Amino acid sequence: MEVTLSSRSLGKPGFLSDLRAFWAIVWREWTIFKRYPSWIIALLIWPLIFPMMYILTARALSGMDGSGLAVFTQTTGASNFIGYIVVGTTVWMWQNIVLWDVGFALRNEQMRGTLESNWLSPTWRFSYLLGHTGPQLITMTMFILITAIEFGLFFGVRLNGNPWLALLVMLTSIPAIYGLGFAFASIVITAKEAHTFVFLVRGLVMIFCGITFPVSLLPGWMQSVATWMPQTYMIHGMRAAAFANASLTELWPDLQALLLFGAFWLTLGYLLFQWMERRARRTGAIGQY
Amino acid sequence: MSDFAIEAHQLVKKFPARPGTGDKTADRDAIPSQPKKRSLWPFGRKEPKALFTAVNGVDLEIQRGEIFGLLGPNGAGKSTTIRMLCTLLEPTSGTARVNGFDVVTQANDVRRSLGTLLAGERSIYWKLTGRENLEYFAALYHIPQAIAKKRVDELIERMELKDRANELVEKYSTGMRQRVAIAKALLARPPILLLDEPTLGLDPQAARNLRELIAQLKQEGHTILLTTHYMEEADQLSDRIGIIDTGKVIALDTPEGLKRRIDQKEVIRLEVTGWQEYIGEKLRGLSEVSNLVARKQAEADLWEVNLQSNNSRAVLPKLVESIGQNGTRLVNMNIVKPSLEDVFIHLTGKALRD
Repeated sequence: MEVTLSSRSLGKPGFLSDLRAFWAIVWREWTIFKRYPSWIIALLIWPLIFPMMYILTARALSGMDGSGLAVFTQTTGASNFIGYIVVGTTVWMWQNIVLWDVGFALRNEQMRGTLESNWLSPTWRFSYLLGHTGPQLITMTMFILITAIEFGLFFGVRLNGNPWLALLVMLTSIPAIYGLGFAFASIVITAKEAHTFVFLVRGLVMIFCGITFPVSLLPGWMQSVATWMPQTYMIHGMRAAAFANASLTELWPDLQALLLFGAFWLTLGYLLFQWMERRARRTGAIGQY
Repeated sequence: MSDFAIEAHQLVKKFPARPGTGDKTADRDAIPSQPKKRSLWPFGRKEPKALFTAVNGVDLEIQRGEIFGLLGPNGAGKSTTIRMLCTLLEPTSGTARVNGFDVVTQANDVRRSLGTLLAGERSIYWKLTGRENLEYFAALYHIPQAIAKKRVDELIERMELKDRANELVEKYSTGMRQRVAIAKALLARPPILLLDEPTLGLDPQAARNLRELIAQLKQEGHTILLTTHYMEEADQLSDRIGIIDTGKVIALDTPEGLKRRIDQKEVIRLEVTGWQEYIGEKLRGLSEVSNLVARKQAEADLWEVNLQSNNSRAVLPKLVESIGQNGTRLVNMNIVKPSLEDVFIHLTGKALRD
C-alpha cells in the first residue's frame, strides 16, 4: 500500500500558536456563557439583593430617626454607610463567584466530558484555567459597574474619591482573588468535590475581613487572622480610594500587601495545578467523573 | 524516525485498588513491603496500598499505514493502554513511542502526532456549533489560522455537515455529533489516529458510513489504532488484531490467522427457549464440548448458545437430548465456520460483551 501522508501534522508549535489557543479558550468560554441568557437577570438582581440585607439591618439598628448612624460614622470614619457596606459585599461576592466559577471550571469540563479532549491537544494546559478567567473578568467588571450604577440611581451613592485609584486597587486585587481560584480548581479536580471548602473560605471572608464593619471591632486574635487575608486589604483599599479620597501614598500599604498576596496565591495556584496535572497522569483522574 | 507508528514494550499500569470493591486483581506484592517502624507522626502511610494491575506487560508494534484492532472485554485494559499511548496516563513501567516520540518525555510531540476519538459525542461542546467546535480545536492543535479555515470547511464537507454546520451541536443526532468528533480528530491531519469505540451508539447506517470512512483514512495513509466491541467491525477493518484480556495481549495476528487457530474446531450455534443454567453446566461436562457461552437475545425467553467441539457428529445427539427437557426447547441449530468472536471465546473463555 502506498503511504502518502506526512508524518507531521498541520500544527505549528510556538508562542503565537499558544497565544491563539489561549484566545480560543477565552472566546469559547464567552460564547458558551452568552448562550445561557439567564445570566442577564442574575447580573441585574444580585448586586442589589445581597447588600440590601445588610443595608436594611443597618437601617433597623440605627433607629427610626437614623440617629445610630452617627455612631457608625464615628466608629468607621465613613459618612456613607451604604457605600461602606456595598464595597464590602461586592468584594465578598467577587471572591465567591470566582471560587464557584474559576474554581469549578475544570471540574465542569470534566463532568461535561470535554476536559480529556482539551487535555489531548498540545496546548499549554494552564491556558485552560487562564482562558476561563478572561470572560470571568469581563462579567465581574460588568457586575461591579452595574452595582455602582444601581446604588447611584436608587440610593444616591456617589464616589467621593478618585475612581482611577479605586480601579487601581481592583486591578491589584486580581492576582490574589484569581490565584485562590486557580488553587481551588486544582483541588476540586483532585477531590472531585470542594463545596465545603468554598463555604469555609467565603465564611472566613465574611467574618474576618470586615465586609460590613471595621476590622478594629474584632477581638485581637481575629484581627491577626484578618491581616493574613488579602480581602481585608481589598475592602480597606477600595473604601479608602472610593469614599475617603485617599492618595496613592495612603493606599500604598494596601497595594503592597495585595501585590504580595497576589504573588503568593498565583504561585501557589500554578504549583497546585502542576501537581494536579502530574497526579492526574498517574491516577487517570482527568477522565474520571 | 522509527519504523513503527506505535510501539510499546512491557507496558504496565497499576492503580491503587479502590477499597471495598473486592478487587481480585489487587496485587499487594507490587509494592515491596517495608519493615514496620513506629512513628510519632500520625499522618504517615501505615501500610503500602494494594495495587490493581490494569495493564500487565503489553507489547505492541504497529506498522505505519496499518489498521490495528485492539479487542477485549470491559476491564481488559484496552482503554488504559490507549490512554497511556495518548499521554493521558503515565505508565507505571515499560516504554511506549508514538510516531517515534516517547509518551512520557516527549508528550507534546506525541499529542501533535495523534488524532483521538475517546469520549465520542461527549468530547465536543454541545453549546457551540459544529463549525465553532472545529475552529476552537484547530486553534488548540496550533493549526495556522488560514490553513485552519480551509481545513474546517474541507472536513465539514467531507463529514456531510455543511447544511447544519452553523447549528448548535445539542440539536444534532448522535451520528452527527460523532462525525464532528471524528472531524476534530482529523483536524491537524495527524499521521496516527486512536479511535476508541468509534461506532458505539450509532445506528446501523451511521456505523456503516463510519466504517467506510475509517477504510478511506487508511487509504490516505493514516495509521489507525481501533478499539471496538464489534467483532465484525474489527474483522472487516483491521489488518491485524490484538486480543487483550486481564491486561495482557493474549493473541496478535491477522483476522485470518486468528481464525485459523481454531480451524480444526466446529462451532455449533443453538437457539433455545427456556434455557436453564444447569443445562449449560451439564453440557460443559461433556468431553467433546468446549467454550460454551449462552447469551439472552432481545426476544423474550430466546437464548443463543455457542459452543465449540472437535467432533460435532458425536456431540449432537447428546445436545438434543440434554436440551429437550423440563420445558427447554431447541428452536434452531447451525454448525458454522469459526468467526473472530469464536476465536475470542476460545482464547478468553468469555464473550466480548461479558
